Amino acid sequence: MANSQTRIPSGTSSRLTGMIRATAKAVEANRDTINALNVFPVPDGDTGTNMLLTLRSIVDNLPENSTESANNVAKIIARSALLGARGNSGMILAQYFKGLAEAIGEDSDLTGEHFARSIRIASDSAYKALPNPVEGTMLTVYRECAEVAEKSASVNPELTSVLSEVAQEAINSVRRTPELLPVLAEAEVVDSGGFGFAVMLDGAIRALRGEEPVGRVLEVPMPYGKNFSGSVKADFVDASDEIDWGYCTVFAIQSEKLDIDAIRDRMTKIGRSPIVDGTDGIAKVHIHMQDPGEALSAGLSYGQLSNIEISNMDDQASAWSDDRQRERQNSSASPTEPVEIAVVAVAAGDGLSNLIVSAGLGATSVIEGGDTMNPSVSELLKAVESAPSNRVILLPNNKNVLPAALEVPALSEKDVRVIPTRSVQTGVAALLEFNTRSNLDDNETAMNDVLGDVGDGRVCKASRDVTIHGHEIREGMSFATFDDDIVAVGSDPLFVLTKMIEINVESAEIITIYTGASLTHQQVTEATESLKTKFENVEFEVVYGGQPHYEYLVAVE
Amino acid sequence: MSIAVVTDSTSDLPVDIAKQHGISVIPLNVHIEDETYLDGVTISADEMYRRLPDQKIIPTTSAPSVGTYIEIYEKLAETHDEIISIHLSSKLSLTYNSAANAAEEMKAKGTRVEVVDTEQASMALGWATVQVAEHIAAGGSIEEAVALAKSSSERASFIGMVDTLKYLVRGGRIGKAQGFVGSVLNIRPILTLIDGEAHPAGRARNRKKGIARLVNMVVDAAPLDKLAILYTTDRADAEAIANQVAEHIPGGTPIVAQLGPVVGNYLGPGTLGFGLIRSESKNIPEPRSKK
Repeated sequence: MANSQTRIPSGTSSRLTGMIRATAKAVEANRDTINALNVFPVPDGDTGTNMLLTLRSIVDNLPENSTESANNVAKIIARSALLGARGNSGMILAQYFKGLAEAIGEDSDLTGEHFARSIRIASDSAYKALPNPVEGTMLTVYRECAEVAEKSASVNPELTSVLSEVAQEAINSVRRTPELLPVLAEAEVVDSGGFGFAVMLDGAIRALRGEEPVGRVLEVPMPYGKNFSGSVKADFVDASDEIDWGYCTVFAIQSEKLDIDAIRDRMTKIGRSPIVDGTDGIAKVHIHMQDPGEALSAGLSYGQLSNIEISNMDDQASAWSDDRQRERQNSSASPTEPVEIAVVAVAAGDGLSNLIVSAGLGATSVIEGGDTMNPSVSELLKAVESAPSNRVILLPNNKNVLPAALEVPALSEKDVRVIPTRSVQTGVAALLEFNTRSNLDDNETAMNDVLGDVGDGRVCKASRDVTIHGHEIREGMSFATFDDDIVAVGSDPLFVLTKMIEINVESAEIITIYTGASLTHQQVTEATESLKTKFENVEFEVVYGGQPHYEYLVAVE
Repeated sequence: MSIAVVTDSTSDLPVDIAKQHGISVIPLNVHIEDETYLDGVTISADEMYRRLPDQKIIPTTSAPSVGTYIEIYEKLAETHDEIISIHLSSKLSLTYNSAANAAEEMKAKGTRVEVVDTEQASMALGWATVQVAEHIAAGGSIEEAVALAKSSSERASFIGMVDTLKYLVRGGRIGKAQGFVGSVLNIRPILTLIDGEAHPAGRARNRKKGIARLVNMVVDAAPLDKLAILYTTDRADAEAIANQVAEHIPGGTPIVAQLGPVVGNYLGPGTLGFGLIRSESKNIPEPRSKK
């Protein structure tokens, strides 16, 4: 590695211009990644480009020689940043350079204190400039960096020391952005502009320390040690289209005495676009609801309901997303190239389907099914017949599907082996033993061998009052089962999940948790944090399962 | 009639073993940024693994030139009558091709050089070379040596459990283990060379289970002629594997060797594995994935 200690410019202004050039190089090296992270405020994928063009306009206007004083250079930078600012991120970036010029003022040097002040000014003025400042964006990264910069400068005002602490904080701050801005979490990204700023600081500190190259590719700091997949999560695009839609809910309320105004007031509070009108004894309500049940319940408090009509306003969009779903399944879930041994697995939930396909080494197709929709013998047979090999391993992944699966070998011309996987959790464990180089017998043995190594946990909500194995469970309560025994009941899914893990933690080495479709990202984040803190000695892997009914499916190995 | 034995640096042969058997080891080249290093000579494995995680640096490797081979063959020809040159899988590198070209040149100059493509790498190649050297030391002919190099390679296995596939992917050596890429679960891929290319050999859910799996694979492969436990960065883990293996198979604790810069460039820090040669049978299936 080039040791360029001697290449550090001596004068303050050349130091400043060196750092600016380095930030542009750094953003250039990471531009595509920054673009790929861009989902907020508009997912148009141009943050990196905008930041780069803004920085280039600064670099183009930098004075050729280093005779200019530092404060003059800073003023030139601030002005060209503002004039050259592109896009939302460019505008916020310009605030930073404005802060830099203000902080340097008439001084001739550049210290950590100047830097701390510049970023504080940038933070304050950026918050003021935006009508609705949103946390989890570049603003947050500015603010958190300003706090660290001030603290650091008060301990040691040397520029390199302050800047390196701030560069680290920028990375940490970016990593936290999905906690503050749910849309980032849903898309499985971090804030693009914030990351761009962290990239700039990385370039600046490398220039200051004389490290080469100044513009290196920076790893995207994702929460929980995940890796950025390189693009916005596939499901996000569909989901984001649905955000503002809901159910058009229309019904009539009948009662002898009706206060139309009171009903209208009530409806205005719970939904959008309410229209409430009425004559003697009948009120007609039209309202757009995320949860139509809420409007119906409200209506019920005024009288009896009739003529209820609920329609999903997003027919078109949902049809489109259905098509997408089908495309995805066709493209990923069904291998078409002939393989030595094919695997057919039953699973419910998009996450679990993807996972099984990815674990199946290109030889695995998935049939949708599970607890409430057991595939028939003929459906299983059809999947086996269309699998691209005469040797097929069938994973029923459910106790209730097993009997149907066991019928298949006798009905098929192919050599079909059924591995009696009682749950999708054991199915995944078995699939990880699948070896494309081994023969059918060896694969069957290896897959059977691991079935006993996996304990199955489930967490779900009771859909009605039930008594199971002597446990009275009220409707809506959560309960956890482990290998079919009820081990915990409570009001909170995370609580019963924790209980279940507590019981099994002694024998556990790895616990894989598949999160259900009904959970929000925040719930998953909380659960992950809480479990990792509580059970330090166990390796947790939390994966999106997308399964219906079960908040959590758990594999204890 | 004396016969010289040559291999290349991807054999990962420890220096003392190479010296003990009089084996000449030709280094491949490692290119990092604008610098070129000789594998294991001007860049150490430790230095390589220290630099590998830096995302900006993507080291590449290249085969020794034909000229390099000729130079070494000519030197050996001064003191030997014939040369056997035993090399890395030709599907992974041009190392074998360079050697074969150099051998043609040598033939024109009157020296017989037999070049063998083992379709192996690391200590699977290393041990095959050692077996050849042992046979020659015991008075074997070059024809026998060539046959033995081939049969040893067929009985050899090189297995590596990697922390991540990214080094293999970015180095373009993922081969038939492509199916491992894109796994949703955080698994430890276990790879082997079959017909000279990377193939999946198993998966483990974490490092601990992976280590247990490696031990089982070695035990399943016994009886063995030769065994080395391999690592890139974690010697202690490799020694633990060596000790566990020693309990199950005769022959004492196997040697522990570090994977060199070229092989390690494609497997990455954290890799554990082994190179072995099975006894007797010439056509043994690959080790079963689990006991």
